[in-house]
Amino acid sequence: MELKTTPLYQKHIDSKARIVDFTGWALPVEYASVLKETRAVRTSCGLFDVSHMGEIRIKGKGALAFLQYLTSNDISRTTPGQLQYNLFLNENAGIIDDLMVYNCADSFLCVVNASNCAKVYQWLVKNKSNDVQIVDESETTALLSLQGPFASCIIEKVFAKSAANIGYMHFIEYSFLGKKIIISRSGYTGEDGFEIYCNNQDAVSLWDSMVAEGRQYGLMLCGLGARDILRIEAGYPLYGHEINEDTNPLEASLEWAVKLKKEFISKEKLCRMAEAGLRAGLRRKRIGFVLLDRALPRQGYPIYRNSTAIGEVTSGAYSPNLNVFIGMGYVEKDYSSLGTPIAIKIRDTVYNAKVSSFTFIKSHTKK
Amino acid sequence: MSVLKFTKTHEWAKIDAQTAVVGITDYAQKSLGDIVFVELPKAGSVILQGKRFGTIESTKAASELYAPLGGEVIEINKELVNNPQWINESAFEKGWMFKVKLADVSQINSLLDENAYEELVAKEAH
Repeated sequence: MELKTTPLYQKHIDSKARIVDFTGWALPVEYASVLKETRAVRTSCGLFDVSHMGEIRIKGKGALAFLQYLTSNDISRTTPGQLQYNLFLNENAGIIDDLMVYNCADSFLCVVNASNCAKVYQWLVKNKSNDVQIVDESETTALLSLQGPFASCIIEKVFAKSAANIGYMHFIEYSFLGKKIIISRSGYTGEDGFEIYCNNQDAVSLWDSMVAEGRQYGLMLCGLGARDILRIEAGYPLYGHEINEDTNPLEASLEWAVKLKKEFISKEKLCRMAEAGLRAGLRRKRIGFVLLDRALPRQGYPIYRNSTAIGEVTSGAYSPNLNVFIGMGYVEKDYSSLGTPIAIKIRDTVYNAKVSSFTFIKSHTKK
Repeated sequence: MSVLKFTKTHEWAKIDAQTAVVGITDYAQKSLGDIVFVELPKAGSVILQGKRFGTIESTKAASELYAPLGGEVIEINKELVNNPQWINESAFEKGWMFKVKLADVSQINSLLDENAYEELVAKEAH
């Protein structure tokens, strides 16, 4: 099957990116060096093409009620111009996808994982009521992500001070050279940053503008390799690793995105677990961990306590910003407290680690 | 006067009479990308030609390392374990991995010389 490409594909080829197949998309995994790109986002700035992400718009009189029922977080707490992290759950409280919901006043824009876009769209259509319209805008929407301490300087240069002053988890609709775009203060790195949504045909000029203005700030083009390390350093889950349809939000340590005061699908199941106490009601728990030795943990490696297997690694990376190996995984709940000594088996060797907070790197997102 | 030889799996061996120093090639480090972990054989262990002697991990993937020549490992580059980026920076010098006392010098004949290795790389790159 031919890989899908983003409107910036030729830009990536011209920049000598290494292109990989990421769930059917031809995307840059690295330009010059994954580690240099990862450091640049923490110290200066990085620009990512994440146009593969899915954008599904929910319109109509029943849009809010419809979304409220299918998600765990409370969208009624947002006002127009705000976005919110949320989860689509199935009947068993399994996670269908994690997403950002943009409250656009007359509609809601759901930004979903590329790998789940078709599945989510079908799920929404299957559950929809007559007063709701569902429009998949993914094919025509590009998404650029500018992340790092100098991101706001570049946004001010390319757009305006008003754009650079947007609050965290807020967005504005903006006119750039007569084209309608969305500028959002958000990201997937734990750094201050912006995500810019535009029509496909405007992506190249936006990209070029940011590269040109970013040069003086040490902007680097960043690929999926850096994006993955950065999100692990920030403790963010990735669908297919930390979360899937067999994980529920409580064991995934995403209880902050579950609001049991509203009605939604599988709420009863989550209530029962929560009543039993977040820890007692669960069999396993997502944890972060730091290796005490040098070794690279990868998805699927077993986690031990003494000689007993207690869980499995879901993600791992070498953190160039901390100079240690870190990761996330699931362990039996009794071993999930901070500081618990654990071990990870990598090939034939067992390496020591300890349970750690998810925020390996202190978050620098704006409050 | 040492001789530089190569394997089809992108290791190099700098052979000096009865001993050889081993590492991976510049082409290999470029294809792997940023190297973050290297596992070396223990000093004193015996390795066999063509068999796995260690593992290297880049930000992208783990790869096995295969011994260009068999024999006893008489010295390892201990500092490399804490500085795996040296393989990216200097694959043929600072990135050396270990020194082996050759069990059978005639094994050298099965390795590629520089021209043959360059041909192999040219083919793989296309």
